[in-house]
Amino acid sequence: MLPRRPALQAVRSLATEVGAANNTLHAPTPPLSTTKSAVTRSKPLLEAAVIVNRSPTITRSPSRFEKTFFQYQSRIARALHNPFPYEFYFKQGSPLEAQFNIEERSRERQAFGRLTRTMWDTTEANLEAAKLAKEEVGKRATRFTEADKRKDLRSLDRRGERNLYLVTKSEDSSWSFPRAAIRKGEFLHQTAERALYPHCGVNVDTWLVGRKPIGLYKPAEPTEGHERLVFFYKMHILAGQVEPNGSSAVDFAWLTKEEIKGYVEREYWRGVKDMLSDS
Amino acid sequence: MSAATPKITTAVKAASRGSLRPIRRAPEMRKLLKRDERGLPIPHIKHLVLRDTHHSRLQDFYYNTLQDDLMYMTYVHESSPRPPPRATRLAYDPEDPYTKNRHNPPVGGSQIGKKLPPPSTAHNVVQLERIQIHTMVKEAINSKSNLLGAIAAFRAISGENHQAGGVHTSEGVQIVRAVKTVGGWSRAGGPLGVKVDLKGPKMYDFLTTLVEFVLPRLREFNGVQLPGSSSNMQTPAGVSGVVSFGLPPEAMGLFPQIEVNLDSYPKSYGMHVHLITNAEGQGAQNRARALLSGFGVPFLRK
Repeated sequence: MLPRRPALQAVRSLATEVGAANNTLHAPTPPLSTTKSAVTRSKPLLEAAVIVNRSPTITRSPSRFEKTFFQYQSRIARALHNPFPYEFYFKQGSPLEAQFNIEERSRERQAFGRLTRTMWDTTEANLEAAKLAKEEVGKRATRFTEADKRKDLRSLDRRGERNLYLVTKSEDSSWSFPRAAIRKGEFLHQTAERALYPHCGVNVDTWLVGRKPIGLYKPAEPTEGHERLVFFYKMHILAGQVEPNGSSAVDFAWLTKEEIKGYVEREYWRGVKDMLSDS
Repeated sequence: MSAATPKITTAVKAASRGSLRPIRRAPEMRKLLKRDERGLPIPHIKHLVLRDTHHSRLQDFYYNTLQDDLMYMTYVHESSPRPPPRATRLAYDPEDPYTKNRHNPPVGGSQIGKKLPPPSTAHNVVQLERIQIHTMVKEAINSKSNLLGAIAAFRAISGENHQAGGVHTSEGVQIVRAVKTVGGWSRAGGPLGVKVDLKGPKMYDFLTTLVEFVLPRLREFNGVQLPGSSSNMQTPAGVSGVVSFGLPPEAMGLFPQIEVNLDSYPKSYGMHVHLITNAEGQGAQNRARALLSGFGVPFLRK
């Protein structure tokens, strides 16, 4: 009556496979290395590099199309919204109400060129109080910072809308992401963390994103007969600033994706460009 | 810096140059909109849908920073394609006339907690889908007018309204009704509480307010409690990417929308918050927590 279980066969075969796999353990294993030199020749050199990222600190500016679109939508929203319940939110004659009123009038004029509905009036005393309240709020910070004006490539305050990445200059005046060769008994993510501190100082607070590499770069030319593999890790800078030690790292810069292209070699750029965010 | 000067590609400059039309001052309104009997303006066209009026800061943060990080952190490498799912046989013979239309559960136990997550790709990175907040008002059992305070508070907190902006899927603040009668506690179909579903920019606005204004000022709140590290995660809750927690009544007064006139509300209401993500399968709960932790929701291990 019951249908035969088709999966049973599969389970059995799997079990026998595992058994077979276990059996191979008892079989004589091939010797790990025949001659030492043969192994070292085929062994690639492993390195870990770290892409230190300063994420955007301000929202991106809308494009012209977005700006126009948002303006249009704001006008629709303003024209059709439900009436605002002033008496529910403000005590009548309070400075807060006066301030809100003034702002609301200017917003209305900005949207339609004139006042389209009767709005609450404010007395002189309220206006004074509102001005004082507005002064307390203070000035807005600018989107174009001092570092942008000075074109200071070492500053972390530059290009607030964009992702910035740390590149360092080595003794042979070539620019690249900080990197280190793997040591015996070390995990790859530990090498990645080590790649930053000896060259760029300890006065920097960072966070490594996960323990998996985000990309691999294989230089076309082998170094001293060895193939070289560079694993990239992503890291965020949380506080502090890089201080190059002067020997292995001579200089550093915080650059956006397209700025990096002008600094590094073409082959290196092709290997790393897809690991960097476009924004 | 005396070294090489940066070369900014012309592609970036060109992108900002071209535009559809120059931005100029908005045209002046010649004729005002007609008003209905309640004094509300009547638009010229029938099916008007209001879209976004600004960028959402937290949403930008997700797409610029968080999504990449979460993709790297939650990536699971699978070297070969997955085996086909196990065939679960039925308990009874479906052809037997005696058992033909009976409930026929598959043999092998519940598979809910054992569901595998989808293979990691760049397209299914964990993402916030919606936030639901709800509260039960006990006094509503006696008189449903007691719900009014909670409705007003939820409207202020969420900014949602029924079909607001012509969006027909926006349900606004909904009234929750009792499913069945429980002696002295609820009556089937009777209103018991209110809830709101938040999506899109308003969802991110709510989360920003919660994380930046409410939670830091909430007394004796160190974070959302996590279960013990040895607790079983192969439960329906463990494999669904929903993180839930409760807020005490004191938290309501900390929302800036309510704080300005807290006295106008009859009382403070506590609420349940469900943060619903697209994570599914084993480890979904952990992936959802990683996402929310990135948004700044604090978590605390017991």
